[in-house]
Amino acid sequence: MTTCSDAYTPRDTRNMRIFNVWTIAAAAMFAGATILIGKDIIARGPLAWSLAIATLLMTLLAVRAYMVFLRAADELLRRIQLEGLALGFGAGGVFMLSYRLFERLGAPKLDSPDPFVIMAIFWALGQYIGMRRYAPGVER
Amino acid sequence: MINRLRELRTARGWSQGELAGRLGVSRQTVNAIETEKYDPSLPLAFTIAGLFTLAIEDIFRPNGSGAAPVAARPADRGFVD
Repeated sequence: MTTCSDAYTPRDTRNMRIFNVWTIAAAAMFAGATILIGKDIIARGPLAWSLAIATLLMTLLAVRAYMVFLRAADELLRRIQLEGLALGFGAGGVFMLSYRLFERLGAPKLDSPDPFVIMAIFWALGQYIGMRRYAPGVER
Repeated sequence: MINRLRELRTARGWSQGELAGRLGVSRQTVNAIETEKYDPSLPLAFTIAGLFTLAIEDIFRPNGSGAAPVAARPADRGFVD
């Protein structure tokens, strides 16, 4: 079984922690903004626009933190991450394209962020597969 | 790619974690190179060679290239045909 300390250098751990903080902050802001704007708790106008733009910027900062993590990552970890991203992007793309056909056949309509969930699940699955493939096991 | 990383590491009494720290990579990477599941990048191969003060071709050689890495040849280990 691969542990984080086996797969991550101290620099990777630090960068991943920064990415996680930004991701949680962006997700919390997205959830808050969705409730506030979606339920008309704040009036449509400059304040709502500012909140939406702030949410977008927060999300971009999370993406930037991931890019920093990926660029500085240990080279094997980078490969595992890229394989995960490829699987996530591929699965998300296939799902988005093929589900439209199923919608026409009567499957429930999805919200636009739903394919992102598929991408995230397959991204995590790809990382898990990669981690297992290169699992160090017991040192000899 | 075939390599002598485990042999060189154990000869110095280093753990995989210790070697990983010296190379600035994870223990997972060291293990994957040693078990030949992963071929290092050229910069990392140079770093490894520099650490052991050997040439890259003394540590790594492509699969099926014939000759073993220099010190891994039987003659270099003191064996006689």
